[in-house]
Order: sequence, then C-alpha cells, then structure tokens
Amino acid sequence: MTQIELRGVQKWFGAVQVIKDLNLTIADNEFIVLLGQSGCGKTTTLRAIAGLETIDEGDILIDGKKVQHLKCSDRDIAMVFQSFSLYPHMTVYENIAFPLRATRMAKADIDKAVREVAQVLRITDLLDRRPSALSGGDMQRVAIGRALVRRPKAMLMDEPIGALDAKLREEMRAEIKRLHVKQGSTTIYVTHDQIEAMSLADRIVIMHEGVLQQVGTPEEVYQRPTNLFVAQFVGSPVMNVADTTIRETGGEVAVAVGGTERGFPFPRELLSKLNGHAASDGIALGVRPEGVLVRLEPADGFLPVEAQLIEPLGSFDIVDLKVGKEVLRARTKSGFISGTGEKVFARIDPAQAHFFDKASGRSLGVSL
Amino acid sequence: MATAVMTTLDPKSRAASRGMSDLAIRNLFIIPTILFLIVFNIFPLAYSLGYSFTDFRASTNAPANFVGLQNYRDLLNDPYIWNNFAVTAKYVIISVVGQVVVGFGTAMLLNRDIPFKGLITTLLLLPMMLSMAVVGLFWKLLYDPSWGVINWALGLGKFEWLGDPRMALYAVAITDIWMWAPFVMLLSLAGLSAVPKHLYEAAAIDRAGPFYTFFRITLPLVAPILMIAIIFRTMEAFKTFDLAYVLSTQPSTEVIAIRLYKMAFQEWQTGRSCALAYIVLIMVLAITNIYVKYLNKVKER
Repeated sequence: MTQIELRGVQKWFGAVQVIKDLNLTIADNEFIVLLGQSGCGKTTTLRAIAGLETIDEGDILIDGKKVQHLKCSDRDIAMVFQSFSLYPHMTVYENIAFPLRATRMAKADIDKAVREVAQVLRITDLLDRRPSALSGGDMQRVAIGRALVRRPKAMLMDEPIGALDAKLREEMRAEIKRLHVKQGSTTIYVTHDQIEAMSLADRIVIMHEGVLQQVGTPEEVYQRPTNLFVAQFVGSPVMNVADTTIRETGGEVAVAVGGTERGFPFPRELLSKLNGHAASDGIALGVRPEGVLVRLEPADGFLPVEAQLIEPLGSFDIVDLKVGKEVLRARTKSGFISGTGEKVFARIDPAQAHFFDKASGRSLGVSL
Repeated sequence: MATAVMTTLDPKSRAASRGMSDLAIRNLFIIPTILFLIVFNIFPLAYSLGYSFTDFRASTNAPANFVGLQNYRDLLNDPYIWNNFAVTAKYVIISVVGQVVVGFGTAMLLNRDIPFKGLITTLLLLPMMLSMAVVGLFWKLLYDPSWGVINWALGLGKFEWLGDPRMALYAVAITDIWMWAPFVMLLSLAGLSAVPKHLYEAAAIDRAGPFYTFFRITLPLVAPILMIAIIFRTMEAFKTFDLAYVLSTQPSTEVIAIRLYKMAFQEWQTGRSCALAYIVLIMVLAITNIYVKYLNKVKER
C-alpha cells in the first residue's frame, strides 16, 4: 500500500530549472510512466523521489509522509538503473542478497527470499555467475531481482531496458508487465520511448522542459492530447499537424489545409464547438495517419491528392499525400497505392481530427 | 602466433622508404635492450651465483676455492643473520601497514570534490620524489633529541627517537611511511575514482550503511590496484638500505640489506655475501609470488 505524491516540486541545476512546479499523485499499485525527451526532467524527477537528488522547493510524500529530507535508505524505495549497476565483484546471488544483507537479515530468510525472486525471474541457474558473464537481458533481470527482493514500498525504474537491443527490449517489456501484474507494486518508470510507455503504463505522465504536459491513461493521451507537444510526441508515425483555415460556404463547413481552395468537409457542429476561434487564423489541425482516409476512386467529400512517397512497413504503408503546400501522412493497407505520383482521393475523418490553438499549442478540446 | 602480432609496415612511412623491413625495425628496437639486460643483469646474476659457492674475497688476489653449499649452510645457521631477517620482517610489516593505512586514508579524503584538489594531491606527492639519502638526512635533524622539530612540536622533551634501540626501527619506519604513503595514495586514488558512482547510488538505494558500503563495495573494487601498491612497497621495504643506513647505526635497525652491504664491502666476504644476496632474492620472490597469486584471484572477477 504505497501512495506517492509530488506537491509543487521545483528543481534547479544552477540557473537552469529542470523541474517546474510539478504536482502528481500516484495511487497504490499503479504503474506510472514518465515520458519525455532526454533532458525533460523525467530522470531528475525519479531521482528526486528516490532521494538521489535534492529538490529546491515543494514536498515529496510517500504514504502521506514528507520524505524530501530523508536519505534514500530511509525511504524504502528500490530502483533499477539504466546501467543496471550490478556489483561486478559479486555473484548474481550476492547481488540479489545485497539489500537484505545490508540490513542484517537472518541468513536463512535471505536465502529463501533470493531463491524465490530468482524463480520468479527465471534466473535460478545463473545464481553462481558473475554479472560480467551475463547477457544484457539477464543483467536486467538480476537488477530487477535485486529491487524486488526487498519488497519495497515502490519500484523506480530509470530506462531499465533502454540499453538492450530492439528484440530483447520487446521481450523484457512484456516481462516487466507480467511481473507487475503478478507482484503488484507501485512503480514509476522513466522512458523516452512512447511505445514502451503506451504498452506498460496505467497512466502516462508526459513531461517537456521540466513542465508536466499531461497525465492520463494511454488511451486518453493518445486520443485526447492536451497540446501539440503531446500530440506529436505520442504515437508513431507522428500526428500530422497543419495550419488550417475553416470556412463556411452555403451551410457547408470546410477545413482547408495547405492553402487549397476546397477544404475537407466537416460537420456543422465544428463551428459552435470552436467557439469563435474559426474566424481567427491561428488554428492548427492535427490528425493521425489513420485519420486520413484514402480512396482510389473519387467519392463524396474526398479531395484529389497526389501520393508523393510510400513507406511500406509490412503490416501497413505510410503514404505522404500532397495537399496544397502541405503534406499529410496517411496510413493505408500495404500495397494499397501502387506507386508514387499516383492521383488518389483523401478526406479527414472528423472524429479523429484535433484542433489546436497555434499560439499556445493548447488543444481546443473539439471532438466530433 | 608471434608474427600475427606484428602489423605490416605502412609502405609510405619514412622507415619503409629507407628500405627497412618490419623485421629490421623490430631488431633495431629489441636487440640493444636484450644486450643491455644480458651484460648488466643476467651476466652478474649468473656470475654471482657462481661466487656464492666459493670463498672468494674481492679484496685479495687469492684464488677462489669451491666450497659447495658451505656459505649457505653457515648463513642459515647464523643466529645473527636470522636476527637481521627478523628486524627486516618487523620493519616491512610496520612500514607497509603504515603506508597503506595513511595512503588509503588520504586517498579516501581526496576522493571527493574539494577545492584545489589537484594542487593538494601534487603537494602530497612531493615526499615520494625526494632522494632517499636526503630524506634520511633531514629526518635525522627532525628527530634530534635536543633541538629537533618533532620533539619541540610534540612537547616530548629530550625523547631519543634514534638513540633508543627499541624506538629506532619505528623511527625509520615512520620516515619511510612519510615518504611512501603518497605512492599508495596515488594508486588508491586511481582505484577509487575508477569505482563507478552509480554503484554507490545503487548501494544507497539498497540501504547499505557507510561501513557496509566501504567493506563490500569500495574495498573489494579497489583491492586489485591496492594489491599492486602493496607488492611494490613490500619489495622495496624488504630491500631497504639507504634510509636505515643514513638514519641509524643501531643494531636494532640493521635490516638485511645493511648486513649484506657490510658483509660485501666492509668485511669483503664476497662469496658469502653473494650467497646471502641469493637467499634474499629467493625470499623476495616467494613473498611476491604469494601476492601475485592473490592478485590474480582478485582479478578473476
């Protein structure tokens, strides 16, 4: 039962503010992922929670108790480092036993706990080896084992699988998820990989330049990004963002992209939902590639466009469509468009369109 | 295999343009060194081994007579020689332990962010760079019972550092510690700064206290390089001559090297001193081997 709360946390490195007024509540047993580019303050936040970094202002609470002045050893938190940080001169067994031995636990209890954890992580046959004789994935398992063996109040993970190769990363991702489901402990996980974040998190916390951008479940963050940064950071391929003008002609609402004469047809409610923003020029349209519908034949509401570039990705293709001066990327079945330069027809699915205030980057909260 | 190590000469290099082959260059570098080693190391070593079986005296023209193992037998049955060895052993232990404690301690103090770290380190290294004889001479002045700075600073009155037979060996060892602790410090500092910082972070997260962290993380990881420092210092301390010779004339400080010197160049027992030199050599080799075995064990992980 562990709840972690950050209240108005601020942190400077010299003149640079790396965490700006961060407020966050993490529920018991929750898997939270801190997501952001490198240098956004996510690792610093994690280290501050662990006690490896001091904070300049605000409170960090674990189970309602302020801990920002406690040493890391008094916070009862385990951490898995990106570099694994295994003790090179100890065997796997000694590595996992280290946190228990450090607190002078009885020998028999240590042995039992270590073997239990080793079994869960399937590393029992590696217990006598030294870290230098392990593969990257096994080193990571040992590092996780060392964190798990204490049954800490919370697990902190700093890009724990960032150093592994792509295939292993996918395997370990699934394993971490399996472990969390099985063992269940409050976990804070730092990564810059949005796929990792989406697949693991109960809730994702997106940070940018020390500022918290959005907190939400993977679906919320993906489907209702609060601003342009989140919209473009989450999701692969990246969301299309284009300057847009919204016109009303003869009862029809059209959203024009890239200065084209004809716009994509949208339902009338758009105008009322935009609340007067339609008149101004400062609106950006955001639409994910799967929200750009493509047909080979002309159809109602579809505009003729030219396919500029096709990236076949196996299960689907990503096609660059030239719309006026802009390029919209669409997702099609693989092999749907036979070649570049082909004329096809496209429209935007109003239900998947997002509108942002260009000046502030904030979402206008329109959902049709 | 040996040829695989050699890389081919760059055909555009200056040496190649002078028509030198790889082999010629290799010989150019290696042969002078080998010749030097043979003339100045290997030949005297073998020659003195021969003398150690004779009653040769370099001070007379009398021909050397072969006496077999008599020299070795005499030396190993001589209680005075054994006393010299006991003095040497005591000296080695005091001096090396002292150097490791002081040197490693200083390294621990320096292994953090402090202002003027580079300057402080350099200043601390100065004793090591001085000449042994000079160090001996001015420590003799420092130790002087009537006007020495040490007695004055510690308020010890007319304490006899070098005059007291029981104290003299400690006094020599203290001087040796002063001089060579920086060497242990330098190597320890290199070892300490090579311990990754994230291991300390991991240990802190794992709730290890400062002592536990020191004995379970710091010390084992610095051990190999510390071991090298200890090997060097033990060998040197075993062979100590100048410092003890300059500082004190007490029988209680007559380490084996001084005995050897007196035997060879004051008593002119050349054959017997060669035998003693061989006994010392074998002992140093044996001690070093024990350390090297341990070092290899430490390095395995």
